[in-house]
Amino acid sequence: MSQSEPLLRVENLKTQFFTEEGTVRAVDGVSFEVGEGELVGLVGESGAGKSVAAQSIMRLVEEPGRIVDGTVTYKGRTLVDIERGPDGDLRESEAMLSRREMRTDIRGTEIAIIFQDPMESLNPVFTVGGQVREFIELNRDVSGAEAEEIAIDMLREVGIPEPVKRYDEYPHQFSGGMRQRVLIAMALACEPSLIIADEPTTALDVTVEGQILDLVDDLQEKYDTAFVWVTHDMGVVAEICDSVNVMYLGEVIEQADVDDLFHDTKHPYTRALLRSIPRPDRTVESLDPIGGVMPEAINPPSGCRFHTRCPDAREVCREVHPTHAPPEEGADAAGAGNDGARPADAARAAEADGRQPHLVSCVKYESVGYEHSESLEAEATGAFAGGLAEMRGGERDE
Amino acid sequence: MATTPDIENEPSPDREFNEEPAAEQPKARVGWQYTLSQVRRDPTAMSGLVVIGVATLVAVVSFVDGVLFAYLAGFGAFASLGVEQYAIAEALWVSPIAETGAPILRPPAFLTNELYPGEPGTLAHPLGTDHRGRDLLVRLFYGTRIAITVGIVSTGLAMVLGMVVGSVAGYYGGLVDDALMRGAETLYAIPFLVLVIVFMVAFGRNLTFAMIGVGVATIPTFARLIRSRVLSVREEEYVDAARAAGVRDRNIIMRHVIPNSFAPVLVQATLQVGVSILIVAGLSFLGYGAQPPTPSWGQMLSNSRDYMLPNPWFSIWPGLAILATVVGFNLLGDGLRDALDPRINN
Amino acid sequence: MGRAQYTIRRILQAVPVLLGVAAITYFLMEAMPGDPVSIMLGPSPSAAQAEAIRAKYGLNRPVWVRFLNYLIDAVRLDLGQSIYYKVPVTRKIAERLPVTLLLLASSFTFAILTAVPLGIISAKRRNKPTDHVSRVVALLGVSTPSFWIGLMLIIVFAYRLDVLPATNLILPWAPVGSVDGADSRVDVLAAAGRHLLLPTLSLGTLQMAALTRIERSSMLEVLGQEYVKLARAYGVSEFTILRKHAFRNAQLPLITLLGLQLTSAIGGAVLTETVFSINGMGRLIITAINNQDFALVTGTTLVFGFVFVVGVIVTDLSYAYVDPRVTFEEAE
Repeated sequence: MSQSEPLLRVENLKTQFFTEEGTVRAVDGVSFEVGEGELVGLVGESGAGKSVAAQSIMRLVEEPGRIVDGTVTYKGRTLVDIERGPDGDLRESEAMLSRREMRTDIRGTEIAIIFQDPMESLNPVFTVGGQVREFIELNRDVSGAEAEEIAIDMLREVGIPEPVKRYDEYPHQFSGGMRQRVLIAMALACEPSLIIADEPTTALDVTVEGQILDLVDDLQEKYDTAFVWVTHDMGVVAEICDSVNVMYLGEVIEQADVDDLFHDTKHPYTRALLRSIPRPDRTVESLDPIGGVMPEAINPPSGCRFHTRCPDAREVCREVHPTHAPPEEGADAAGAGNDGARPADAARAAEADGRQPHLVSCVKYESVGYEHSESLEAEATGAFAGGLAEMRGGERDE
Repeated sequence: MATTPDIENEPSPDREFNEEPAAEQPKARVGWQYTLSQVRRDPTAMSGLVVIGVATLVAVVSFVDGVLFAYLAGFGAFASLGVEQYAIAEALWVSPIAETGAPILRPPAFLTNELYPGEPGTLAHPLGTDHRGRDLLVRLFYGTRIAITVGIVSTGLAMVLGMVVGSVAGYYGGLVDDALMRGAETLYAIPFLVLVIVFMVAFGRNLTFAMIGVGVATIPTFARLIRSRVLSVREEEYVDAARAAGVRDRNIIMRHVIPNSFAPVLVQATLQVGVSILIVAGLSFLGYGAQPPTPSWGQMLSNSRDYMLPNPWFSIWPGLAILATVVGFNLLGDGLRDALDPRINN
Repeated sequence: MGRAQYTIRRILQAVPVLLGVAAITYFLMEAMPGDPVSIMLGPSPSAAQAEAIRAKYGLNRPVWVRFLNYLIDAVRLDLGQSIYYKVPVTRKIAERLPVTLLLLASSFTFAILTAVPLGIISAKRRNKPTDHVSRVVALLGVSTPSFWIGLMLIIVFAYRLDVLPATNLILPWAPVGSVDGADSRVDVLAAAGRHLLLPTLSLGTLQMAALTRIERSSMLEVLGQEYVKLARAYGVSEFTILRKHAFRNAQLPLITLLGLQLTSAIGGAVLTETVFSINGMGRLIITAINNQDFALVTGTTLVFGFVFVVGVIVTDLSYAYVDPRVTFEEAE
């Protein structure tokens, strides 16, 4: 794609959970890239598979989950490479790093992670400083005393007052926002090239969230760390991301530069997500929530997975699984493009200057006969009740 | 930023789809149908149910038999056998050499023991006989009745009283809570067995007081459990709402607190039946349970102590019977815990 | 809110419990049928004799006065006179308590040393054969009457195989000369160990099984925690996670259970001492009850309560030591 090899490349990643009720296809063929110092968003409703995708990169998915296909390369090293053996069984390829290498060379050292819930991510029986220090010692070539110094400096850097005193305190003596700062300090202190932030601000209240985002913005600039930022919040995406991957039911359905995504929205789902954001210039009544709920990943709908809820759905959407590609010229029947620029050209242009080309998975932008297809409106409205019934059945599935 | 929405906050309360399917757990309260179907699918719970079912059946049959025996004995039947008999099955199977007065310990079928070398047991007494020539299998059967009754009655008593104590303590808090919980702690501080024995010595050395004693001694277990549930339910908004709407405390406890504590109490009760059976066996072993000639497993074990060398089987069977029954209740309890709510951890 | 203050609070909370234990036994004993005087003097004592005895033991005063006096005496470590043994209750208890404590200590040691590794392995190898075996063992363990295990051990190891002694417990502190064939303290200790083996297994199996179950479930829970996942994400090895990140947290429920187990273990000791004919507190209280030795029953029960309360305080304090949140929340 771009001239230089990106920092992280995820290709056709598939992660499944083998439950009693069936196979949950949590991540189903996801591909994206992260360049050096780039902040890439992974956005979608809960259940879209974004967290699983993020954790698959570090091979942190636990039983009964398993990466069943795809490749993840990082700085030229193969973190994940699953291939099918002659009799169809899954095999890890020769190139793939061993568990030990993952542990010593990648986790913490090269890629760090920040989890969603700061209240649960720190061990309650150890001091905060001790925990930060332990990870520094493990992932950087420093002595214990140096690690302690680094930890205190980093705690100060992320805005924890009196870091020397608080170093010896326990997690329960910290507020949620303060704990999240500790986790960020932990991640940065190991000096990784990439930090995976798995909904790090979801559990915080909005003012604290704002402070944390500002902090990350500043620190990202200072340390030039690349980020994969997992969130369900389009507002967060707008604030900090460089490029965005929108996920729906295990698939990336639109990826673009953050400006393109917001100003040249292609996929009906992305558009629906953006419309559901409250804005000061609109009343609550004009808020437009997406109808229905996301179907189960055990049994994804045929064709385009979004067709059960899509306002633009037509007969063809039920049959044809869209390809993930630059939107085709002239096929933009819905007229979402605002300036008449030809999308494929734009994609090529983006690629040329190393930006994320605009890719989308929607049959509207393919020549498969969308214009002549019957509308599926009736089914889309019925999807709400149907979705609920499915959810009831689905609750026990996990 | 401050106005950023949460696209996850959809209005539907039924949404529960989480990122990690693996981490998701079944909900605790999804109605009886669901619970039953979960239990039915759990092999642990089902095997426990089978064991308990068999034991209960045996208990019922031996009960009917005992009643019939008493009725027939009223007419002077069986008097000629000259052994201390207990029921029809026993009377029919009594060993023919019962009159000699010496200990009669028939080995199980086709085995020999040191009292009768060279004379293996017969199918007439498949598990052998006890020291008085009574068929061990029959006595084991009759022991089931005592074990099941005592286990269930004492646990039921403890459950009801524990619910009352626990919900009152948890709901009213403050001094009431302190007093009741200190009381429960006190009961707990006296070793179970000692408490029940002292209780029986004070009130009566029979099975009824054994059951009451074990029941009272078990109150703290249930009281603690209910209290902790009450404390959490009390904070729920719907309870606040009910209180604000002027619903009486008693009704709140009955309508909200107790139903919400149902799952853990049921699990605890099932496991407790097993524990109570073990305790009553211990009591009987020490001579503080069912009094002869009523057969109970603990008492059989106590009798068997003098004959462990010549005939170990006498000691083995009653223990296995206790083990099997208690395993049944533990299996059911574990299965229920998994089915009702996997998050209840002891 | 320091640990010292928490300790003092816990100890003060124990006082009413001990008072309650004394009250319950005292009044239950009072309700007991049978007159202690007739037990001392035989079936038909003369009125004058009976009166003298009543006055001597203070039996002519109202029950609550006697109870208060009893409590005051108890604080001065005077628990009255045993009618059966005709010695002070405290002396009898001093003689028997170490035996029972030894038995409890050895079975708890056995239980903890087997249960913790077993539970951890079980959790780590969840749903693998090792796990299944250890779960079945634990299930059987919590379902088997301890005294029956004792009987079976006697049949197998003492009668059939004749490798271990079943009776005449030798205490590790017995004088060297009093033990057959022992020439030194080492010999005595070895003999004591052999004698303790079967009673320990008999009493310890239930505790072991219960602890294994809780260790497994608590380890499973901790291993699923976010902070364990975080440690894994930072490259901490699985062994270090078990040893450091999960271990401490997983022991918390175990510590709580240990304290509570004490009461069932003391009950179990009564049975175990009966099976192995050990002269400890358990047999003492049964003898006392069977002989209506009022003072001895109350005194023994009070000491049992005391042992339990001390055990619970010790476990609570170790809990507070392991989990910094406890003392903190108390202070809130």
